[in-house]
Amino acid sequence: MEESPLHQFELENWVPISLGGLDVSINKAVVFMWIVIAVAAVLMVMAGSARKLVPGKMQSLAEMMVDFIRSMILDTMGKEGMRFFPLIATLFLFILFSNLIGLIPGSYTVTSQIIVTAVFSFVVYGISLVLGFMLHGVKFLGILVPPGTPGWLVPLMIPIEIISQVARPVSLAVRLFANMTAGHVMLAVLFSLTIGGGLLIGWLPFAFTVAIYGLEFGIAFIQAYIFSILTCVYLGDAFHLHGHEEHAH
Amino acid sequence: MAPSQDPLYAGLGQAVRMATDLLAALIVGGGLGWACDTYLLDSTPWGMIGGLVLGLVAGMRNAYRSAQRWPKT
Repeated sequence: MEESPLHQFELENWVPISLGGLDVSINKAVVFMWIVIAVAAVLMVMAGSARKLVPGKMQSLAEMMVDFIRSMILDTMGKEGMRFFPLIATLFLFILFSNLIGLIPGSYTVTSQIIVTAVFSFVVYGISLVLGFMLHGVKFLGILVPPGTPGWLVPLMIPIEIISQVARPVSLAVRLFANMTAGHVMLAVLFSLTIGGGLLIGWLPFAFTVAIYGLEFGIAFIQAYIFSILTCVYLGDAFHLHGHEEHAH
Repeated sequence: MAPSQDPLYAGLGQAVRMATDLLAALIVGGGLGWACDTYLLDSTPWGMIGGLVLGLVAGMRNAYRSAQRWPKT
């Protein structure tokens, strides 16, 4: 049986629903999104319900996670960033759990759909824009002209900066989507080689499958971490105009 | 819960970040240029060429920026 390695990403409507011409059918991705939310919520609520002074396994894992997200926010945004803790923790947990649940054979990786990652990244970027204009008003447009730009370069810098600003949500979305898709395609190709190779040579791609699976496990964490830390960075840029760059020089 | 402390994975994360920084700016620049060509001005192909060049510059700038944030080890 030959199957395209991209077959795993195809979605068919399980429960076709149409709302005023909009296709809001329930498909595999939707169901797995619910599962991800349920698993993440149940695990975190279970871990949080104990509230012991000496934490058990679950509680200490959850405390580590909260502490990790907290220090990530404090490092990039400072104290005033803590009001975004719920947003960033939610993003981090959702992406982490959907990456991890996607690694279970037979399940579905929600983050391998570019629409999911694109919605996340554009919402985050929209929040950072709204926040920037709320805090700084028209001065926020100053991000388009980096500090220390000579006057004659300004007409050239503005289009470049506009592109680099628009590229931020695009790269955020593409990065997560491409990593998840590429990893799962690689696993599918290697495993179909294992099946095709049989006992004689099939052990070689199978060894690679196991190795790549381990790597994908790490990538699941890294991608969740990168997505949330870049969210922090972008929101932090809205707080402090040019803050980071002046320190860097 | 701190996979980013592992140097292999931290490096991998950084590498992936910079590569997509370059790519995304190129896509956005080319796309904006192409949109200018087709919908605003009738200037095919110059808008797209200019957009790609600006996108390349912006991508390098973004990659440079994320390199500046490189954690000091």
